[in-house]
Amino acid sequence: MNDAANTDRWIRWLNTLQLVLAGVLIMAPTVWMVLSSFKPSFEVTAYPPTLIFSPTLENYVELTRTTPFLSYALNSLVVTVGSTALGLLFGIPAAFAVSWTRISWPAILTLAARMAPGTLFLLPWYVMFRQIGMIGSYTALILSHAVITLPIVIWVLLPSFDAIPRSVFEAAQVDGCSVTRILWRIAMPLVASGIAVSAILAFVFSWNYFLFALVLSNGDTKTLIAAAFNFIGEGSTQWGALMAAATLIALPPLVLAALVQRWLVSGLTLGAVKG
Amino acid sequence: MSDTAATLTQDRQKLEMAALSAPAVIFTVAMIAFPVVYTIWLGFQTFSSTGKQSFAGLANYSKLVSDIEFWHGLWITIALFVLSLTLQLVFGIWLALVLFHARRLPGIVRSLFISPFMMPPVVAGMMWLVILDPSLGAANYILQSFGLPPSDWLASPSLVIPTVALIDSWQWTPYVALIVLGGLQSLPPSVYEAAQIDGASPFKTFQRITLPLLLPTIVTAAILRSVDLLRFFDIIYITTQGGPGNASNTLNIYGFRVGFEFFNIGYASALMLTLTAIVFGAVLAFNRLRSAVAW
Repeated sequence: MNDAANTDRWIRWLNTLQLVLAGVLIMAPTVWMVLSSFKPSFEVTAYPPTLIFSPTLENYVELTRTTPFLSYALNSLVVTVGSTALGLLFGIPAAFAVSWTRISWPAILTLAARMAPGTLFLLPWYVMFRQIGMIGSYTALILSHAVITLPIVIWVLLPSFDAIPRSVFEAAQVDGCSVTRILWRIAMPLVASGIAVSAILAFVFSWNYFLFALVLSNGDTKTLIAAAFNFIGEGSTQWGALMAAATLIALPPLVLAALVQRWLVSGLTLGAVKG
Repeated sequence: MSDTAATLTQDRQKLEMAALSAPAVIFTVAMIAFPVVYTIWLGFQTFSSTGKQSFAGLANYSKLVSDIEFWHGLWITIALFVLSLTLQLVFGIWLALVLFHARRLPGIVRSLFISPFMMPPVVAGMMWLVILDPSLGAANYILQSFGLPPSDWLASPSLVIPTVALIDSWQWTPYVALIVLGGLQSLPPSVYEAAQIDGASPFKTFQRITLPLLLPTIVTAAILRSVDLLRFFDIIYITTQGGPGNASNTLNIYGFRVGFEFFNIGYASALMLTLTAIVFGAVLAFNRLRSAVAW
């Protein structure tokens, strides 16, 4: 009996050790990025690398001084908020209709669209948007990013709508409520937390998306992600500013994801796994 | 009388439901279906240097068959796919088991574990570019302090694909782990209890009971990762743009460059349609595998 307890304790120790190891491997690169962003410029490229230094904000100041960082950030915000709003506007009623009717092809259609490589759409978009002079417009960027947000909203919300007992709707129907009214007054308040999670996930993935803005934006509408090249060009000599840019770009999605971490897995697998 | 009334409400309801999905469907058709048809048409066109467009028949596709860069890109894509998926599944399952046996997971720990795949891949690329710098990077310093030779990482033609696979695995292994963890948590505990009573060793229990029961979840994770891995773009484009030389020129990178750097829209369309067929083919194959291992 004592032996078994000893083995048990050993196994638990071994497990904790592995957990710590995994945690270090996962965290170390991010920590290094953040640390480097606060290092004085002569120390960022020091070799051997230093862990102890007097932190400074000079990289962040340098970044906002030498690049239009704030206007890139504003562009990112406009495109991300716009595409998330569009995804919710189209996605919420569609998810509700799919859940109610069990006719799933609209949901599958949006997902299939999400599985193809983005360049497949980007080629015709580029040709078409150029013809109507929309390259570089917020509209083109928001529309293209809504292709990312729409399936996220629909597939994250489907299980939430499915979980509402049908009797709730049937009772409302007997009372003469129209379908739209049922969605607005009864279903949406019931899945409010699901809507919040889908909105945050849509925001994160729209914010993170690289390819479309690379081609469809211009100097005035360039998003932070598409502008990353500018920072790298500068970063060849200035790692500090590069890491400051990387830290700032990663901050919004990381903060938002931390808010909904508990519901993330089922949301991220588009309902394939109940987390 | 009441029958007609019922059909009437039913018809009305159908109409209202159609109206609710209509915006999403119309949007997807306008933004995806129509452009894809257009891409198929573009795949049969050539564009001269002056931008003049003419019908080319299957010329783009016959060019593709004889294009060494296409076959190279296909090979790079498959190599990166196999290497990354293997790394992420093996370490993902390991990490899931470790997390499963940890007593409880505070929210802050969970937030830290998901942080790699919630940050933009572009940021992951920027951060690893600095860490893996051949002359001043922290990675080589760590190697050297263990007495190992430094590496050129992303700057080495032979190591660039394994290095990119490593970066992507750093980002997405926790994601695979969380999916597998979800699968582990949904397994009935009675299974383990039976194995324990039979005196099975932990390893045997894993090999004979846990793993087979987990297979459908693992295949789900594999599908979700495959879609991203076969159209790999962000990390490569930000770190190497397909280089050094053409050593990391995956099909998606190659197609993008043909389209938007060389402006050969017709040939790029043919390349992208081929890549799309590969992605959907892989998803269908994995789906078959999933039904084969379902229980």
